[in-house]
Order: sequence, then C-alpha cells, then structure tokens
Amino acid sequence: MEPVVSLKHLLFTRGSFRLSIESLELVPKKVYALTGANGAGKSTLLRIMALLINPQRGVVQFPGITTGDADHLRRQVTYVEQSPYLFQGTVSDNLAFGLKLRGVARQEQIRRISLTLSIVGLEGFEQRKAKELSCGETQRVALARALVFKPDLLLLDEPTANIDVNSRPAFEGLLARLPKYGVTVVFSTHDRFQAQRIGAELLCIRDGMLQAQDTLCLF
Amino acid sequence: MNYLSDSLLAAVVLIFSFNREVQLAVWTSLYTATVAIIVAAVFGVPVGLWLGLKRFRGRRLLITLLNTLMAMPTVVIGLVLFGLFSRQGPLGEFGLLFTPIAMIAGQTVLAIPIVANYVLACVNGADQRVIDTARTLGATQFQASIQLIKEIRFGVMAALIAGFGRVIGEVGVAMMLGGNIRGSTRTMTTAIALETSKGEFVFGLSLGIVLLCVALIVNLFLNMLQQR
Repeated sequence: MEPVVSLKHLLFTRGSFRLSIESLELVPKKVYALTGANGAGKSTLLRIMALLINPQRGVVQFPGITTGDADHLRRQVTYVEQSPYLFQGTVSDNLAFGLKLRGVARQEQIRRISLTLSIVGLEGFEQRKAKELSCGETQRVALARALVFKPDLLLLDEPTANIDVNSRPAFEGLLARLPKYGVTVVFSTHDRFQAQRIGAELLCIRDGMLQAQDTLCLF
Repeated sequence: MNYLSDSLLAAVVLIFSFNREVQLAVWTSLYTATVAIIVAAVFGVPVGLWLGLKRFRGRRLLITLLNTLMAMPTVVIGLVLFGLFSRQGPLGEFGLLFTPIAMIAGQTVLAIPIVANYVLACVNGADQRVIDTARTLGATQFQASIQLIKEIRFGVMAALIAGFGRVIGEVGVAMMLGGNIRGSTRTMTTAIALETSKGEFVFGLSLGIVLLCVALIVNLFLNMLQQR
C-alpha cells in the first residue's frame, strides 16, 4: 500500500536539540501514537510533517508530490497544536476557513460544518463565539476545523491535554473512528495506555531518534 | 474671557449658517486626507506586515528608519516634494504643484510611516499562532497574511485613524504643496493659519471647532466598530 507520507534521511537540529529519522512510512487510514519524553522531538516531528518547519536534511514525501509544492500539500495535511488558536468570529467562521480556501460551495459548507460539529460532539455550536469557548471546546472546534475538509493526514499535538478526564473517552473514541472516514491520524501523547485504548500503532522517539517498532517504549 | 466666549458663540453661528468658505475648507480637508490615508494604507499596511513577519538582516535598521520618518517635520516633507513638483523639479512638467494631488502626495508620505509603524506594533503583539494555524488549514502565505490582518483589524483601523488624524491636522504640507488657494487647496488648517494672521479669529475658531468635531466623529465611528 502506498504510504500517506514517508520521511527519509531526516535531520533537524536547533542548538543542542537534534532529531534524526532515517526512514518512516505511514500507512493510510491508521492511527499512530507518537510517544516520548518531554523534548524528545515529538512536536518537532509533527511540525516537520505539517511542513511548518524545514529539516536541514532529508525529505518529507507525499504520494506523487514533493515538498516543492508545499502550498498544494497543505491542502491534504493538517496539524492541530496542543493549545490551538481559534480565529475571531463564530465557530462556523472557523470551520468555514479551510472550506472557503478549497472553494466549497456555501450550502455544502453549512452541511459539512453541521455534520463535523456533531461528530466532535458540539451540535448547535455554529453561532457560538470562538473566543468564548472553554479549553476543551476550543480543542474540539480545532479538531472539527481540521476534519471538516477531509484531510488525508491529521497531525495532533497532545490533543487530550486540555480535555477533562470525563470527556477523554469520547475524544479517544472519536480518534479511533477517524480512519473510517479515510483519515490517517498521528497524535503525540505521554500516555502509552491512551495509545492502547485507541488502538494506535506506537512510534517512540527517544533522544531525537525513532526507536525500532519492536523496542519496548520506555521514557 | 468675554472675547473668547463671544468668539466661540460667533464661531458656532458661522458653522450653522453653512458658510461657503467653511464648507469648502472642510470638504478639501476631508477629501485630501481621505484619499491620502487610502493610498497610505495600500503601502503602509503591507510594509508593517512585512517588517513584522519577516526576519532578515537590516530589519532593525529599517524599523529605526521608519520610526525616524514618523517624527519627520511636515515642512521637511513639503520642502522635498516641493522640489520634486516645482517647475524645475523632475516632476515639474506635470504641473502638480499647488493642486490637491500634490497635497495628497505629501500627506501620503506623511501617513505611510505612521500606518506602517502601528501595523508593525499590531503584528508584534498578535498571537504568533495565527499564521501557522492558517497555513496548516491550507492557506498560502498571502492568504495567511490576510487572515492575520483580519485578526488585528481593530489595530489596523486604529493605525488608519491615527494616520488620518495626523494628515487632517497638519499645516506644513498643505501650505507648501497646496499653496492655500481659496476654493481649491485651502484646507481647514491652512485657513485657520491664514484667517488668524488676518485677525479673523472667529473664522479660525469655527474651523478649529469643525476640526475637533471631525476627530470626534472619526473616534466615535471607531468605537462603534469595536463594539460590534
């Protein structure tokens, strides 16, 4: 099966920090959990895959396209930060942002926004002011905003960090279901058991290096 | 004290009598300042954005230069442009000196550093995640910059209002490049200067009141927009 993204001979350094990945291929419609200690390089790897930062060496390849077409690639890949930023305006305005960029018709926008909000458990939130939401709601809106345009690859940086313990099972269940919608998910977490609950494949980073997949992931 | 209060009363009467001279001066001021601020926005907003978003060698120097330009005396701008537009100057053949166009050019030069500096301050103060968020949702660098402007729109509007306030209240450029020609390039400020020097204190005061009212209306408009 053709990978949704492949990384080869990747090297990123900043000061004393170093992230080096010889080879990594992610299969479509799967969930991957990126684990590792603080500062191991999880967020950096996600940002490289999101094409927000460029490595000093190596390539990030998406099927049939090279990183030279970064603007085009960004239409297929999206990244949600640990503390996501919501634009001013309503929840609907936020979700419509990516749809407008892709030229989706107004009626279709309304339909998709409503559907996506119900998927993340925020039915009826369309007209709520984005800046007046709680942390957990903000996280869900950010996820909905990323999902609404059906990305091939969804990158999430510690997506449950701002979600209360009671709401986590529902959120984890949602992440587990995303491959059914054709989305490949990579999320970073400190919680290996969370990866197990979601049924995600573990990608363990230690000291800026990706560990072999059969290695016990301890950090 | 009577002199002041009597003059104030007479000035109010003059405004509400819709004096033609006052109307023309008000119109010329509003027209030139509005066009100047629109042109200044076209140049100043992108410059402020660019300086706020890009990191390159010489950026600090450019910002210092921009700050210096903000403090540039209006008569110096008037003087330099006078040299450009005067008959012997490089743009002399167009015959623009002592026309509203020359005034607009001068006021635009005056307003650009103000607009750019305010926008730069807004970009520096904006949430650094705006651009990255827009990019991850599929925006190009240009589209992400437009989104940033939307996020800091009140700051950008304040920049335009500050620039508008500066140009509508200045005398040097309007006097040197406009020539204070009645019915053509006479603005509120040049009329105030002229009439007061002629001893027409009441006329000058009435224009001063109109100038203050314009500032008040513009600020009320800004407040109204911010509350929406």
